[in-house]
Amino acid sequence: MKARHLLGFILLSFVLLPAGAASALEAIKIGAYLPMTGAVAAYGEMEWTGIQIAREMEPEVLGRKIDIVLVDTKSDKIEAANAVTLLIEKEKAAVILGEAISGNTMAGNPISEAAKIPSVSPSATNPLVNQGKQFAFRACFIDPFQGEIAARFARNELKAQTAAVIIDIAQDYCVGLGNFFVKEFVKLGGKVVSTTYIQTGDQDFSAQLSAVQAAKPDVIYAPNYYTEDALMAKQARDLGIKVPILTGDGAQADTLLQVGGSAVEEMYFTGHFHKEAAGSQRAKEYIRRFEEKYKKDADAFGALGADAYFLLVDAIRRAGSTDGVAVRDALAATKNFEGVSGLISMGENGNPIKSMVINKVQNGKFVYVTTVNP
Amino acid sequence: MDRDRLKIFLNGVTLVAVFLVLFAFSRYGTDYQVRILNNMAIFITLAVSYNLVNGYCGILHLGPNAFVAIGAYTSALLTMTPAEKQMNFIIQPIVWPLNVIEVPFVLSLLAAGLTATLFAFLISFPVFRVRGDYLAIVTLGFGEVVRVLCNALQNVTNGPLGLKGLSPCTNLWWTWGVAVLSMVVISRLIHSSYGRALKAIREDETAARAMGVDPFQHLLLAFLISAFFSGVAGGLLAHLITTISPTLFTFLLTFNLLIMIVVGGLGSTTGAVIGAMLFAWGGEALRIVEKPMDLGFVIIPGIPGMRMVIFSLLLMLVILFARRGIMGRSELNWEVILTRLDRLRRP
Repeated sequence: MKARHLLGFILLSFVLLPAGAASALEAIKIGAYLPMTGAVAAYGEMEWTGIQIAREMEPEVLGRKIDIVLVDTKSDKIEAANAVTLLIEKEKAAVILGEAISGNTMAGNPISEAAKIPSVSPSATNPLVNQGKQFAFRACFIDPFQGEIAARFARNELKAQTAAVIIDIAQDYCVGLGNFFVKEFVKLGGKVVSTTYIQTGDQDFSAQLSAVQAAKPDVIYAPNYYTEDALMAKQARDLGIKVPILTGDGAQADTLLQVGGSAVEEMYFTGHFHKEAAGSQRAKEYIRRFEEKYKKDADAFGALGADAYFLLVDAIRRAGSTDGVAVRDALAATKNFEGVSGLISMGENGNPIKSMVINKVQNGKFVYVTTVNP
Repeated sequence: MDRDRLKIFLNGVTLVAVFLVLFAFSRYGTDYQVRILNNMAIFITLAVSYNLVNGYCGILHLGPNAFVAIGAYTSALLTMTPAEKQMNFIIQPIVWPLNVIEVPFVLSLLAAGLTATLFAFLISFPVFRVRGDYLAIVTLGFGEVVRVLCNALQNVTNGPLGLKGLSPCTNLWWTWGVAVLSMVVISRLIHSSYGRALKAIREDETAARAMGVDPFQHLLLAFLISAFFSGVAGGLLAHLITTISPTLFTFLLTFNLLIMIVVGGLGSTTGAVIGAMLFAWGGEALRIVEKPMDLGFVIIPGIPGMRMVIFSLLLMLVILFARRGIMGRSELNWEVILTRLDRLRRP
């Protein structure tokens, strides 16, 4: 055989082998599309670790093995749409899990909706994602809810009369949280004395902060990502602004502690998960396995990834089949499900109703403060 | 039969063949195949029109993402139903004329192209005052300005929340129809006196000017045509994925287009087509290397991102062995093929 033929044969066998191996067992397929590379790869990565641990905990349903097919979306909308089509058509996935961010989930959802395949996104929090969809669900609460809870916490626990809001207008997440915080805060009788805007990547916040300083608020609400929040907190403390800073779960990352240092002490976060808030057997088991395997604290994205998996498996179990409509109905009927991130009940539009945790930074660590129920 | 008639005949045959292939896919193809074909056609339109400016005019223009964004937003805002708009704009209501307008898809595409052209016209005056690296910076800046505006104009574009729920109007006929149209228009332009003037400007602007070619007029023409097709492709893209947000139109989009035309060959329409097809199809075909592989004796776990590694290696190989891209500056058309055949027949 000529070398060229041999090479061709080897290449061909690479192409054919995986196709042949797949059909051996009659497993239930969960198609996962996540950003494993690209701008938000960190989220995909964290969720994937959570999903894998969840699968270790519940590897079977209805007496059948569960297979997860992972497809990368490169953090991109076009690829996300391709990925869902591929999962449904070529992989014959019974249910879909993903995506990590809202924009990509909005590209994937119409496709699974048209195919009548239920999907659960771990962390797409933009309120538009599930709007008007029958087969789309998520494991996280939506941005308006997080903004509202933050407002309630600021009014009731921090006893704030006035608030200053600093919003990163380049992120749908920050805009969503900020706007709904303002609505709820005003509704609860508070007053928003200053609203300023920043953009992802900004380094200097002196203009916004001097406006805040002049307005003398009782609390600063800055629902932005960790880099901007850390820098902003530093500059605020340097300017002598001493009021508490309240933010969302997007800021809760180790980078915040490294960059912010002592300036981020006493910063409050609304969030999906804290391991000390975990009450259920499933959550404890998850955290134990996670820490044993990865030797670090269980994070929120991993917990949400795991919950998306658990919700799907639970719905398949209750539906008694993998029929799309049956699983959809079971998902919609989810009530008081003990997930890793708390009790989950499905509300309107496939948006869960669940409790929220409040954390804060203390001595360079994220500590659990309280749980706020919806 | 003389050469010209034969070429027209063969072009007709090719069109019919393309039509039949598309027909077969739209009838019997899976959604996945259709989706990749749609992506392919949209990228072909984008690459061919981008190549007109970057390849034939020799101008490093780095802002096509702006025109795609303008086209996508224009057509999306025009086709969405008033009810759908109301559902989307949850933070600030949409501004007046847009909240009641709803036009058919075809008109929205036309409007997308024309709006992109209008913006291209407006920025062409500052852009063509400079050349080379400076022009690249001006156009890059324009691309960023448009993206930032899409973020900031909450009551027009819905800001970073994006738009969703567009009706999936884009199908194979639209995407490939526009792709073929863009190829025909641009190759007709290139083979006209305008095209020759553009190439003259690319080679030596001063010499071209000495020969009586007005660089501004010619470059403007190419720029506007390019922007028009980019805008239309943006509209098609929006109605293919049915949701858009500013993050879709970052510099990365321009960068991908640049890869396509450089790999295909700067200054070759067929090259741009080949580059776009390879890009759209290759990315999906290479997914196979990310799957866990069971070779019987050993199981290789799937590594996400592996296909990008292989894709980059392939790109490097192309550039190593074909310095000017796959096609260089030559074209693959019937003229070339017939000449080759003639040479084979008469050695």
